[in-house]
Amino acid sequence: MKFDVGPAGDVGLRLVFSQSPKPSLTYSLLALQSAARRQFSDALMDSIVSYTTLTLFFHPLTVDRERAQRWLEDQARAACDSPDSPDTERNTVTLPVLYHPSVAQDLEWLAENQNMSIDDIIELHSGKDYFAYATGFAPGFCYLGTVDERLATPRLATPRANVPPGSVAIADQQTAVYPCSSPGGWRVIGTCPTRLFDLNSDPAALLCVGDTVKFEPISMAEFRAAQDTPAKQ
Amino acid sequence: MRTLALIRSGIATTIQDTGRSGHQQIGIPPSGAMDKFAMLMGQRHLGHRNNEAALEFAYGDLAFKTSHPCHFVVTGAPAIITIGDAAHHSGSLEHTEANQMVNIHTSGHGVYNYLHVAGGIAISTCLGSRSTSPRERIGGLEGRYLRDGDILPLGPESKDYEALDSIMPSTRHRDTLCLRFIPGFQFDQFSETTQQNLISQVFSVTPRANRMGIALSGDPVNTGIQALLSEATCYGAIQIPPDGDPIVLLNDRQTVGGYPKAGAVISGDCHRLVQSRPGQRVRFVAITPQEADRVAWLEHHYLETKLS
Repeated sequence: MKFDVGPAGDVGLRLVFSQSPKPSLTYSLLALQSAARRQFSDALMDSIVSYTTLTLFFHPLTVDRERAQRWLEDQARAACDSPDSPDTERNTVTLPVLYHPSVAQDLEWLAENQNMSIDDIIELHSGKDYFAYATGFAPGFCYLGTVDERLATPRLATPRANVPPGSVAIADQQTAVYPCSSPGGWRVIGTCPTRLFDLNSDPAALLCVGDTVKFEPISMAEFRAAQDTPAKQ
Repeated sequence: MRTLALIRSGIATTIQDTGRSGHQQIGIPPSGAMDKFAMLMGQRHLGHRNNEAALEFAYGDLAFKTSHPCHFVVTGAPAIITIGDAAHHSGSLEHTEANQMVNIHTSGHGVYNYLHVAGGIAISTCLGSRSTSPRERIGGLEGRYLRDGDILPLGPESKDYEALDSIMPSTRHRDTLCLRFIPGFQFDQFSETTQQNLISQVFSVTPRANRMGIALSGDPVNTGIQALLSEATCYGAIQIPPDGDPIVLLNDRQTVGGYPKAGAVISGDCHRLVQSRPGQRVRFVAITPQEADRVAWLEHHYLETKLS
């Protein structure tokens, strides 16, 4: 497994593995992130695991850059030698989804475009587990993979100005739930009544990198009943 | 309770401190004052040692009153402060009586000003900071830009500060602003022609600028890179979207992104860039991480000696 450590600005270090994303790599990156938190403590201001990268941000002038870089390279090399196992128990989160044209503006379009029925789409989308590879774009927004290739659809050429909160959407072979209303170019195929981001909860974001997510189809009646109930763990 | 009433709220006015850290993994940007030096100078000037919050506003045009007599200081872009009949240049300790109208106007260059009122804007913190992140609706007052008529609580005025010498405005005229950057991310994947195109030309600052980033325009930079897996961005990251106009990412940036990046502008030069108006000429100069550390040490030392 090849990797490279380089600068990310004047206070950052970026580790990238040159391989395709997969859960075992994410587990290794999360383990490295935990190790970095222990190693650098308060000098580490922030860190991000995303797909094949781990990026560390330090307080200015607190860390010897060359020493930190050597440490990260040593850790990455060690991770290559003993990859795979998650360092802690990771969550599986089940999210209820109403797949219905009245709440999903691209559902009928997708069915027509991919030459399948709405039921086929529901079965394909909810019929497998997804892995959380990255978060970002908006607080609580989680990039989930991998979508069945029969559902893979490019983003809209022009993003919509406003995608409603809870929208379940697809872009290429990724899927996600929009935690709050925002502009967005992903194709919306359903809506999820579960809150994904709430500042009054601890943690504020329901989904973390490394989690497994299942989508469970629900009826309109169940959707109404389920709005704002907590997710099943 | 001591309060500040915003009579004229100005442009893009938000409550800011030095920002929040530790939440980028869940998609929350650091936020915080765009011109961090101006923020730190104001805090030190008033003896604010607990990251007390100030008001950040753009293209200075703001008016306020306070419920009690109090001290304040305006930092950042050079501005004119009018209290009653008296007009002063910004950068010194000022005093206002209760319910006296104070006007702040920009004096020609620079973008961001900071109004620090003794005691700070005493709203509650959110994820460890009072900084407003309007896109995420986090922090500040209801996570939003401030409006005319907003009333803000002020903290108790510290007794133990000494007025410092007048402090420098953050901006001065530069024909071409040099943006020192550390190459990184996808820079090595660019062709030599692309690298040269980025480094050898003079770009100009466009009006497409906000707290998320500042777009530059010039001869388009063609990276030849189509799609990337989303990865962490960083402060000062030079992101190059398909149209070839670089965008320097700043405090309210998206925490991850899939556009190629050439590296990142060093923090000190980002603070100068944020004070640049549209049309300002800029050029990128590649430096090593070690050189960047040296610049950071010098600037840190300057702040410590100037303001200790």
